[in-house]
Amino acid sequence: MHKLYINPLPVRIWHWTNAFGFVLLIASGVQIRYLDLFQWVNFRTAVVAHNWIGFVLIANFFIWLGFYLFSDKIKVYHPELSPTKYFKASFRQMQFYGYGIFKGDPNPHHPNAYRKFNALQSMMYQIIMMLLVPLQFFTGVLLWDVARFSTIVESLGGLRVVDTVHVLLFIVFSGFIIVHVYLASLGHTPTAHFKAMITGYEEIEEEPAKEAPAKDAVA
Amino acid sequence: MDNLVDRMRRTSIFLPAIVALLCGLTGLAAQAADAELGKEDKACLSCHDKEGLSKTLESGELLSLQISTKAYEASMHLGTSCEDCHSDLDAKTHGKAKKSIKSKRDFSASMRESCRTCHKKKSIEYDDSVHAALIKEGSKKAPMCSDCHNPHTVRSAKILQPIDQVPCAKCHEEIFKAYAKDVHGQERIAKGISAPLCAGCHQAHAVKAASLGSGVKDACLACHKNAVEKHQDWLPNTARHFEAISCPACHAPDAQRRVNLRLYDGVANKQVSEKTGVPQFARLTDAADSKDMGLDERALWSLLKDFNRDGADSKTVLRGRLEVRSGVEAHQLSEKSKAIKDCNTCHKEGAAPFQSVTLTIAGPDGRPLRHGVQKEVLSSLTSMESVRGFYAIGSTRIKLLDTLLIMVVLGAICVPLGHMTVKRMFKSVREKLEAERAAARSEAANPSAPDAKSPSDDATK
Repeated sequence: MHKLYINPLPVRIWHWTNAFGFVLLIASGVQIRYLDLFQWVNFRTAVVAHNWIGFVLIANFFIWLGFYLFSDKIKVYHPELSPTKYFKASFRQMQFYGYGIFKGDPNPHHPNAYRKFNALQSMMYQIIMMLLVPLQFFTGVLLWDVARFSTIVESLGGLRVVDTVHVLLFIVFSGFIIVHVYLASLGHTPTAHFKAMITGYEEIEEEPAKEAPAKDAVA
Repeated sequence: MDNLVDRMRRTSIFLPAIVALLCGLTGLAAQAADAELGKEDKACLSCHDKEGLSKTLESGELLSLQISTKAYEASMHLGTSCEDCHSDLDAKTHGKAKKSIKSKRDFSASMRESCRTCHKKKSIEYDDSVHAALIKEGSKKAPMCSDCHNPHTVRSAKILQPIDQVPCAKCHEEIFKAYAKDVHGQERIAKGISAPLCAGCHQAHAVKAASLGSGVKDACLACHKNAVEKHQDWLPNTARHFEAISCPACHAPDAQRRVNLRLYDGVANKQVSEKTGVPQFARLTDAADSKDMGLDERALWSLLKDFNRDGADSKTVLRGRLEVRSGVEAHQLSEKSKAIKDCNTCHKEGAAPFQSVTLTIAGPDGRPLRHGVQKEVLSSLTSMESVRGFYAIGSTRIKLLDTLLIMVVLGAICVPLGHMTVKRMFKSVREKLEAERAAARSEAANPSAPDAKSPSDDATK
């Protein structure tokens, strides 16, 4: 077992701000949409909080974007350009989660600082961070002040369309967060990945067949 | 009487010149203040200021011909001579030959041109009003000039009009009663001119149907100038609320509310009007809602399609607005402190304002033509396009999305739970295989060792 510095500080700050922010956005969003079922705070407070948290997360998104754009760590998001390699890796990963993990097979993905995501994560996070999250922020800003952005809202099909997209993404993120937490518990110990996102260091299991540890291992 | 007729005959040749002169003059009101009755006018009044002077019309109505000299002298028309308005009278025959008048209404109509001669601007405004449109349609009740303004007693608009002498109340009695009790009426009674009377919001001559456009709201904001800023202090999405909700919807807290889906010309950005003589709205809504149960999503969609058929000049869309159900309720405005401020009133599922939905087009006279709409259209996925511009968070949410949320969350919980369960079930298999792997590794590392640990030993660790 060795440790690998896999989550730099800006990424960790972004991640936890994003995580808590999204949980709060989901909670306040649920209260706003389902006032008949939940009344944790009054409606207006929920709306104001939802707006402010949204803006904090938009700023936070740019921390994430800035970090990756201006550092070589952007390689972690580089897509695999060979479809054959990509689908093989994805299939191996799916096979691991759907079958191998039950037998105690080793995780087929061996992370390093520039390749920390497995094929499935890589695809999923690119879709989430470059499409779904910006789209959610965009629709959120439009809904924050509908009259100010009425031309854009109208050109997109009207208020109901914009709101429906926002709600659909809220549903996706609600499901994602639950599954994300579970998947994060599938490290070599249930808390391994959580610790890694706090300390920055991921504990990597030694590969039985390979002798030398990764170049950037620190301990 | 002979003298009077004589005088009138002599002056009648000067009438066109007098009328032209008067029309060219401005500041009639200022003139009136300094004016006094002319000889001819005094002569007219010498007969007409007699109690009981009247004429029985063909309709059987009694038309009073009495004009109070005192009231006339105090009126805005003091600077206007009798002939200016009654130029049709022939001094030779006036008072002698019997002139037949059909009815009071006919007489009022015949006098409109006299008013128009001087009051050009107001007449143009009036011609564009709902009152004039009603008259064109043949209404026997819509007011003409003299129904609101007695030409012989008319006072300056600057003089405080007693609340019980407002002419609008003659026709809009119920609304006026509501107004007299509401915050504006009470303020008017207590403080006078600072509070609005009917014309303050609806305009005296260019009066339009109140449910049209945003005219009345503009009137509210004309006095309550900082209303937007004050609402911004506490109301999220203030501008949107101002667009989609009429002021009384919150400021008449006891009123019943409803959603009014107004047919709008999306290009010209104004309400669609029914063309005179082409009753398209009634025909299309009746066809789309043959059982008269209110338009459903499909009917609403096909109705919009009919309005937007090939060849239509514009793109007809629906714009929703939350408003009170009647004009009476719109005049039950309360103190500011009693206005609805609780978001739950509208943003909770099943909120009362969204239980009633109506579709509206502006009729040929400007008054709304309505047809009922089923309330389910506000929360249906299939009406997302037709009611695209109206949405209240919580109360008009699309039900299908709620189902989707439940399915996704349940799925997101069940899949990990299932995965965890299978993982637990495979625990012994995993331990056994792990022990075998360890043994194999150990054997590979030390192939000569005879007493390699058995898999079962490993599995117990």
